[in-house]
Amino acid sequence: MIVVIVNTVLIVSGISGLLALLLVIADMLFANYGECKININGKKELNLKGGSSLLTLLNESGIYLASACGGRGSCGFCKCKITQGGGPLLPTEKPFLNKTEINNQIRLSCQVKVKEDISIEIPEDIFNIRKFKARVTDIKDLTYDIKELTLQLIKPDSIDFKPGQYIQLEAPPYEKSKQPVSRAYSISNAPFEKDFIQLIIRLVPDGLCTTYVFEYLQVNDIVNVTGPFGDFYIRDTQADMLFIAGGSGKAPIKSMLEYLVKNKSRRKMVYMFGAQTKKDLYYTALLEKYEKELLDFTYVPVLSKPTQECEWEGKCGYIPPYFPEYIKDPKNTEAYLCGSPGMIAAVIKGLKENGVPEDKIYYDSFA
Amino acid sequence: MKETPHEIKIHNNLKAGVISIDGFLGDDSRHYHEIIVEDRNELLKLNTTTEELADRMNYFTEISFEHYEGSVLIDDHYEVEYRSYRGKILCPFFHPGLFRKGEIFLYNKKNDIRICWTPLNIHMIREHCFLEGKGSKHRLEPKELYRSLFE
Repeated sequence: MIVVIVNTVLIVSGISGLLALLLVIADMLFANYGECKININGKKELNLKGGSSLLTLLNESGIYLASACGGRGSCGFCKCKITQGGGPLLPTEKPFLNKTEINNQIRLSCQVKVKEDISIEIPEDIFNIRKFKARVTDIKDLTYDIKELTLQLIKPDSIDFKPGQYIQLEAPPYEKSKQPVSRAYSISNAPFEKDFIQLIIRLVPDGLCTTYVFEYLQVNDIVNVTGPFGDFYIRDTQADMLFIAGGSGKAPIKSMLEYLVKNKSRRKMVYMFGAQTKKDLYYTALLEKYEKELLDFTYVPVLSKPTQECEWEGKCGYIPPYFPEYIKDPKNTEAYLCGSPGMIAAVIKGLKENGVPEDKIYYDSFA
Repeated sequence: MKETPHEIKIHNNLKAGVISIDGFLGDDSRHYHEIIVEDRNELLKLNTTTEELADRMNYFTEISFEHYEGSVLIDDHYEVEYRSYRGKILCPFFHPGLFRKGEIFLYNKKNDIRICWTPLNIHMIREHCFLEGKGSKHRLEPKELYRSLFE
């Protein structure tokens, strides 16, 4: 009996799968949607051959929406507003959209197939996002599992970004990875250095992109990067600044600090960096230099698991218990955080308990 | 075993070098359907369910997540540490959403069992009864998993 049921299920599944495959093939071979217009923000119009996803057509036209899954409809990052055309909302989009977004005509661009003229609205910042070809000019070990990567931009040869923003680095197919993968990394140099970018990359166990960087990437290799992305950047106020980071989270903070040094900022700043042991610390000399160059800047490394070998005389434990010592005017403090989701969650809780307003807490959770 | 196009895509996702370096099948020669069926039978023998396991794993995961720089002792004899890594990972079975990259290490001091899982493991157990193939880095043996979580 069980065998009969299993066989029936397999046969029905097989036939359904075959029919679905035939439909896909027929659509690819015979469907011709002709030329379609994509109107962007009522200002720009693209004339393209229809039939592909909106995300693909925009990418081919040099307009890059964020995407972490390569258009597979799994990440929900490539949202945009479609004011005309685009067809009905698909079941594959619904899990990623809330009621307000649906009412506001937000769609997943990777799922919307362009078969007719379409009008979309995207943030103006997206026009600044470009795909760059770059040469690896330096790979430096910062710790046992963190590297600093320097990329000289070739084409285009310069980038405009805000300190704190990130790019997506593309790892090509290699021995351990069957397809190209892109991963997001914060830019660690200051924005006035436009012809190169530096990244701080920590090895992710079993990670396709970081394994490529750590085991395969060589100086002089050519890589593709896309960016800049993100809204984690310094707010132009005179509030006190509290930077908190862990691991490779130093990258966007370093970019911000270089920018503040260059601009001779007079803002009061404290930088608390969480690590397990002394061997997880890096850029210490650079940060001590910033303490001399900036008017009011303090660097506070905090070790959670210092060993005897560390001979550590600095702060120990978690970062939040030290907030009362360093947050002097909580209502007038902006906090900039970058680290693991666990760290971010604990730090936000601690900041709120110490009176820092939630709307002044900015963060880049490792995501 | 004949596969539908969707199953072929899932099978491909489970292989090394597609979603992760090591993949999810290890050196297990069984089809992923067979792995799921055999593990489901093991769970029945243990008189537990995927929901029960996933809920318990989630319980330890959430508490340890708050202790981001070290281990925490939970319910007297479970020592748990959450190690966070940058990025998120997709479900190889094409479920929508992304799952945090990280590893949760649990040491059951009472029975001396150590296990490790990822946030994606919890999802794959709850939604697909998939505990990964034998030899896979994050393979969870049903009996050992049950004993480590509930004894």
